[in-house]
Amino acid sequence: MSNLHDDNRNNLVSFLRQNQPIPPKAHPGLEQQIMDSLEPRANYSRRCFKTGWTIPGAIATGFLFTSVSFGVRTPRVALEPKDLENFIVKNWQNTLSDNGYGTIEETEAYWLLPTVVESKPALSISAQ
Amino acid sequence: MGKTLAGERASTVDAESERVLSDQELIVLCQQGDRDSFRLLYQRYQQRVRSTLYKLCGSSLLDDLVQEVFFKVWKGLPKLKTSKYFSTWLYRISWNVATDRRRKLARGQEKTSLNEKSWEKEQLNYTKLSDDRDTPDLMHLHYQDLVQRGLEHLNFDHRVVLVLHDLEDLPQKQIAEILNIPVGTVKSRLFHARNLLKKFLEQQGLSF
Repeated sequence: MSNLHDDNRNNLVSFLRQNQPIPPKAHPGLEQQIMDSLEPRANYSRRCFKTGWTIPGAIATGFLFTSVSFGVRTPRVALEPKDLENFIVKNWQNTLSDNGYGTIEETEAYWLLPTVVESKPALSISAQ
Repeated sequence: MGKTLAGERASTVDAESERVLSDQELIVLCQQGDRDSFRLLYQRYQQRVRSTLYKLCGSSLLDDLVQEVFFKVWKGLPKLKTSKYFSTWLYRISWNVATDRRRKLARGQEKTSLNEKSWEKEQLNYTKLSDDRDTPDLMHLHYQDLVQRGLEHLNFDHRVVLVLHDLEDLPQKQIAEILNIPVGTVKSRLFHARNLLKKFLEQQGLSF
């Protein structure tokens, strides 16, 4: 049964192959027409070269800029202990002011003063 | 002696220049923009493309469809990374072009009745041409006409699979890649397509 089925299939396929429709011949000028219609293309190898060097070039340039900008900066060195204290205090104040904790006294002595909580008199209603 | 060596060298040079470039070499050259290589590639593949398109779409605007396929090939070649898949890629472009053509037809841009008439006319012209060309026997022409009509009778999905497998002799795996469907679907469509075509041909008086 299966062989019969296979035979039928083979007969059909071989019939189709023997009698497959043959396309009409192409117009004689078709090849040239196709060649003329092609868009000119930029040289692929040159473009590859450009593309190939764009990314490493960008990385190298970035690295160069970074290293130069770090190199150009001169380190600040505090010569006096007072300068160092000022620097630390100022930085700390900047940090707080950046976070919006309000204005802070700029004197170093402010940090040494004890915080005094002023007692407010309680509101009282006198029934007179 | 010297003369012989020179002759040998000359013949070697000739042989090198006449060496047939492989598809992969041609593709690389085309990707670099070499039009002469593209012409060779066209000459090598145009018959397959033409034949496939003819079986899928008939002869109406066949030259235009072939041109569209090769135009797309030229445009897309730089993006083709693996040249060994060129054939699969080319068939996929042909299939896409044929599908677009069918969609346009379905949208009614060209009237069906007109198309059928032109189809019949083309068939007649073709028969005439064939008669002039190599005088094949009438039965063979009749069978060719039946096969073409049988293909027209199938829906497009079935027809594509049958044309690529049974007529273009492509393996099922490659067809699955071209159509982007599982191999199982290819097998199933092929089975149905053969059955439908067989029924059609039997209705026309043939038996298998």
